[in-house]
Order: sequence, then structure tokens, then C-alpha cells
Amino acid sequence: MTRQPGHKAYHDMGGDLAGTIMPDRPDDPIFAAPWHKRVLGLTVAAGAMGAWSIDTSRFRRETLPQKDYQRFSYYEKWLAALTNLFVINGFVSPDEIRHGYDGGLQPMRKEVLRAPDVAAMLAKGAKASRQATGLAKFSIGEQVRTKRPEDTLHQTPGHTRLPYYAAEKTGRILFHHGHHVLPNSHAHALGELPEPLYSVEFRSADLWPDHDGNAGDTVIVDCWESYLDAIS
Amino acid sequence: MPHDHHDDHAHSLLPPEPALRVKSLETILERKGLIDPAAVDAIIDMYENAIGPRIGAGLVARAWADPAFKQRLVNNTSGILTDLGYGGRQGEHIVVVENSAKTHNMVVCTLCSCYPWPVLGVPPAWYKSDAYRSRAVREPRAVLAEFGVILPATQQIRVWDSTAEIRYLVLPIQPPETHGLGVDDLARWVTRNSMIGTGLPKRPENGGLGASL
Repeated sequence: MTRQPGHKAYHDMGGDLAGTIMPDRPDDPIFAAPWHKRVLGLTVAAGAMGAWSIDTSRFRRETLPQKDYQRFSYYEKWLAALTNLFVINGFVSPDEIRHGYDGGLQPMRKEVLRAPDVAAMLAKGAKASRQATGLAKFSIGEQVRTKRPEDTLHQTPGHTRLPYYAAEKTGRILFHHGHHVLPNSHAHALGELPEPLYSVEFRSADLWPDHDGNAGDTVIVDCWESYLDAIS
Repeated sequence: MPHDHHDDHAHSLLPPEPALRVKSLETILERKGLIDPAAVDAIIDMYENAIGPRIGAGLVARAWADPAFKQRLVNNTSGILTDLGYGGRQGEHIVVVENSAKTHNMVVCTLCSCYPWPVLGVPPAWYKSDAYRSRAVREPRAVLAEFGVILPATQQIRVWDSTAEIRYLVLPIQPPETHGLGVDDLARWVTRNSMIGTGLPKRPENGGLGASL
């Protein structure tokens, strides 16, 4: 049964018509403005505090009000989401954001990342893989059908890593990466619920009606098992 | 945590000018003991000076020079990177995809900006742009043309959309004129874009840096 296409979120832009790409030049700095690097540093340092996950950070960036998501530059999105994370998690009040904090210098919390620990924190990272909790349902080479992004959500508004352009398409399992934390639940602190993660390969001609490249062109999307249905 | 729906618009309470907005937030966080400004400095220093595309270029050069290393890199990327000390944040699960005469690989993140930070550093602005995120999966040949890359029609393109925590690093084809060079000289031919798939290796200018753009 063919269903009407569902709602496409505004951050989910794969396949949209868009303008020219502006490649950088060899002497461009890594950060275009000093405040860009400050946002990156603050975001990474705050994440290391462990109060929220990378999935939650992504959810907060992509659920910024549409007008802000679309007018903000990249690091403005990061900054806005970071601000909201500190407020939503009760570390900072909206009043303090508006007027500043005048309660005197507080001692640094013990969970705050310190300068001497930065290199080790970056080198360690945070793996998303987990011990398998069951068998993988699909095998390499098997054909599968993707669900609709909105049918993979664990709450509303929710978070998913299934792009709209790959919804209700038939692809083939290329890799099985073992069990990985499921962003759809983890973004909302509803548990890691690890699932088998697969790289699923789609023929470009199956995704885009106007595809005019090589017939062998493909797009690969990493899909958690609950994004996929077996083909009966 | 208790909060009302206004909290997820708290960002709109900051000053309008971005640089002031950052300063304002950082000052609050520092006073409340929620951030160590020296740690922020140290993170920036790592990404400006230590973690960048030279690391990826070194891996590619070694793979070109040593077929056994290449096999291990392609088959067990995470294991090799951990052994070499190049795992880490935003690159916990790296997969190397090898270009061939038959297949060209190209990487994008349509949903945000996922990128293999431990081996390429911070992603460039174009990688994070709406235009690249929108178009790479749909018209990769037109996108490549804007980077000055024209592929033979017989070469198929695989576009990797980084939707999970797997990060993809492209292993470009070794230019024939570089056969026999040592690893350091080979690394100078490896461009950052050739490891994203939006470029090809090229003859180094001014001696090369080991991963120019």
C-alpha cells in the first residue's frame, strides 16, 4: 500500500534544491571568526560534563524554531542549542540568560572538564557501540524496506536519524556494525535501547526520479534495525 | 528535569550580536562554576594545532606505500586507529572506503554535520552548508563539478550519508606518478577534499603541507 508522504523536518534537507556550494580557499582559517571557536570549545567542554548526550544536543539543534534554524549560521545554531540545554537542565535560569548572573563567583563543579584533562577526553571519545543484546534480524546482501521517519519516533516532537529522502525505499544491507545506542530514545533520555546498526545501500535511481548519472550510482544510509522492515 | 516549553527558546534572550551572545553565555557559565575557560582554550588549541587533515593524509600515504597496512586499514579501521592513537571524539567508529577505477566515494551528513574529526579536524564551512547537505545525495556529479572534479561516466558514485556514529574516510586512488615515493612525500599529494571525496590527490605546490585543501 502506498501512503502519502509524511512530514519532512526542516533540518532534514537531503535532496532539496539548493544553490551553489562555496568551496574554501587554502589560506582560509579553520574558524572564520573568533567567536566560532569559542562556541565549539564551550559546546565540547559542556558535553564532557555528562549532563546530556550527543543525541540530545542534535535534537536541540534541529528543534530550534524554524525561523532561527534557517537564519542562524552554523555556530549560532550550536550556541542557541547549548544555551537551551543549560536552561532546560536547570543549570541556568532564563532570568540569568537575560540579565546575567550576579551571585558572585561560584566554585567549579566537580563534573566540569578541566584544562589538563582535555587531550585525554578528546582521545577517549564516547563509543556508541554496545554489547549485542540479541541476534541481527537482517544479513548482508538482504533487501529491506525503510519506514517513514515519523514512524520511528519515540516521542513528539521527536528525533530520528532516518532521512525523509530514504523513507519507504528498498535498499540492500551492505554492512552490519553491531549494536549501537538508538538516538530515537537516547535523545530524550528514554534509554540507550541498543539495536543492530546497518549500512543500507540504495540505488540513486530508486531515490531520485530525475537521476541521470551512472546506473550503478548509490547512496548509503546508516539505519538502525527498527527503521527497517523485511521484504516479504 | 522540570522545565516549561519557554526554556527551549531561552536562546532568544541573549544579545542579538553573535560574539556578544557567546561572551554573555560564557560569563554566566564561568561565574556559576559550570565551565573551565582554560579547558575551552585547550579544546580550541587542539583543533587549531593538533587535530587536522595531516593525520588523515599520513594514513592514506602509509596505505599507498604499504599494501598490508592498507588491507588492515580498510578491514579494521577502528582497530588500527586505536593502535595509532587516532581514535577519539567524533571518530569512535571510522570506516575507510576505498576509491577504485570502478567506484568513487563521497561523504556527506544531510541531517547535521557528522565528520571524522580525529583524522580530518573540524569540518569546513561548505561541508556544513545547506547547499552541500541538500545536493550531495541527489546530484553528486554536479556538486563534484563545482569542486573542479569531473569523473568518467563509467565510474559509479557511492555517496555515504553519515546518519549514525559511523564516520567515513575516503581512501583516494594513488596517482601513478607517485609510485615509489616515501610516505612523507606521498602525504603531500593527499588533499583534505580527496579524503571527503570532493577532490582528488594533486601535485603539491610549494613543497606541499601534507593535506592542503
